[in-house]
Amino acid sequence: MNDKDTTRHQAKRNTVLDPPCGALLPAEDGIEAAFVGWLKEALNRNIFDALLIPVEVPAEDSFAYLLLQDAAILESASPLPPVMPVQGGKAISRLTMRGNGNKRIAVVVRPCEARAAVELVKLKQAHLDNLWLITMDCPGALLLSDYLEDPAAGAARFAKAYADRRHPSEWDREPMRPVCQICNHFSLRQAPVSDLHIGTLGSSDGAVFIIPASPKGERILEDMDMPVDAALDSWAEQVEEAEQTQTERRRQAHTELRETITGPERLMDVFSNCINCHNCQRACPMCYCRQCYFESAALKLPPENYLARAEHKGALRFSPDTLLFHIGRASHMILSCVSCGACEDACPMDIPIAQVFSLLADRAQETLGYVAGGSLEEPLPLVAYEMDELHQVEQPYVEIYHKQEVQDA
Amino acid sequence: MSGEREFEPKIIYFLCSWCGSGGSETAAAHHLHYPENVIPSRVNCTGALPAVHIVRPLIEGADGVVISGCHPGDCHYEDGNFRARRRVALVKSLLDTLGLEPERVWFRYVAHGEGQRFVDTAAEFNDHVKKLGPNPLKTRSDT
Repeated sequence: MNDKDTTRHQAKRNTVLDPPCGALLPAEDGIEAAFVGWLKEALNRNIFDALLIPVEVPAEDSFAYLLLQDAAILESASPLPPVMPVQGGKAISRLTMRGNGNKRIAVVVRPCEARAAVELVKLKQAHLDNLWLITMDCPGALLLSDYLEDPAAGAARFAKAYADRRHPSEWDREPMRPVCQICNHFSLRQAPVSDLHIGTLGSSDGAVFIIPASPKGERILEDMDMPVDAALDSWAEQVEEAEQTQTERRRQAHTELRETITGPERLMDVFSNCINCHNCQRACPMCYCRQCYFESAALKLPPENYLARAEHKGALRFSPDTLLFHIGRASHMILSCVSCGACEDACPMDIPIAQVFSLLADRAQETLGYVAGGSLEEPLPLVAYEMDELHQVEQPYVEIYHKQEVQDA
Repeated sequence: MSGEREFEPKIIYFLCSWCGSGGSETAAAHHLHYPENVIPSRVNCTGALPAVHIVRPLIEGADGVVISGCHPGDCHYEDGNFRARRRVALVKSLLDTLGLEPERVWFRYVAHGEGQRFVDTAAEFNDHVKKLGPNPLKTRSDT
């Protein structure tokens, strides 16, 4: 990155909203109960007309987003479920793809889901004007396959790791998904896109912070008659501390990962057990295309083509284009990738796809000076451009080239 | 056959239909030669060249891909070459992270009148790829 890019990058970071004060929500019976109680009251007071929130399914082995207007159903909601079977950004996109709608809907999502929703708005796949995004400090989620082995034990494991702990060092990220273990966008400060944020870090026992992060959020707290007067110093301090540790973990994990994936040999070792199910693409909130290029007729060719390729390569694996699918999919969505890990949850072959993509995303987004889901204003990097940038990719040409082999032609 | 033949790379040269292919036309008018193993391929604008079409040849048999569009400010569609530059940066970033030799992708502006620059780019890239050696991906059957 050149100097100009760096300053642009920093300027963006500095605009990250740092609210000085939040409201206090009493939480004697645990954070989740207090939060759900608060949502219920807001719904009863008509602060919003409906809620989109994860609720445990009746079979008690998964969670699903429910769009609800009935406060009674809200009783069983889980604002922070132990798993993420459906990416919230995808749910929001499905709800608002055709427009804003005339009702006010509050949506309770994890920070990565809120960031995905922001990217989808920029991709014209969602509308946020009549939605209120409510996020919370997120400890991560369990790997879906681990959880499904024994949902009850999984829920207990998640509760034990997270519980009602107020200090990031007490959060046990070990049982969480690998990509959650190295997440450094787990709170509001790194992804200031929600309207309200539930701050559990740094709160004292028996209360959590409700932090207004936009004018919409401030209005909700006003309508709920909640004074915004609690100082957020302890929250900001601990989020900062946790962000530093997590960023360091991420850097370390990425360095280790690079050693296991770089080069054709190792890369193909990682992707060789891919079964071409394209589940990663289906689960990915950023893969919104109605017709995926990699499933289109463009890659379905006459047998002569495959025979010719088999001759060149010695042999051709069927189905072909596995590596092309992964690199090509990355080229389509990596600049909007929020490292939510939905792809890894969906992979039946345990390919560490989300970890690879989180590395690809960090590096590609850094190259183009972009942070996925960082703000609604920043244009998508392949839509915008600057005249004076990225000169490192331009091959310099200074004088007439003297061929090494003159008689080539 | 006696001994090993010298490695002759297969190179795909994407040219935009306004400046890049114009450069090749000028080269032809001046009877300038470029290596025969460089295969030109015209695209409407480098800004419309999908990243997949840069990666796919590298997986399926090419040893290098070079892309030439208009100089900054000269794009027929005003900003296609700036967009292409961002996309090439993205592809190079992906290839670099995966250890797949981003130096097998070149991006150099060639104007309509720059026939010499066109043949020089083809020849220089050809020599550059010869030094890099064969692309290891193209002979892998498990891709």
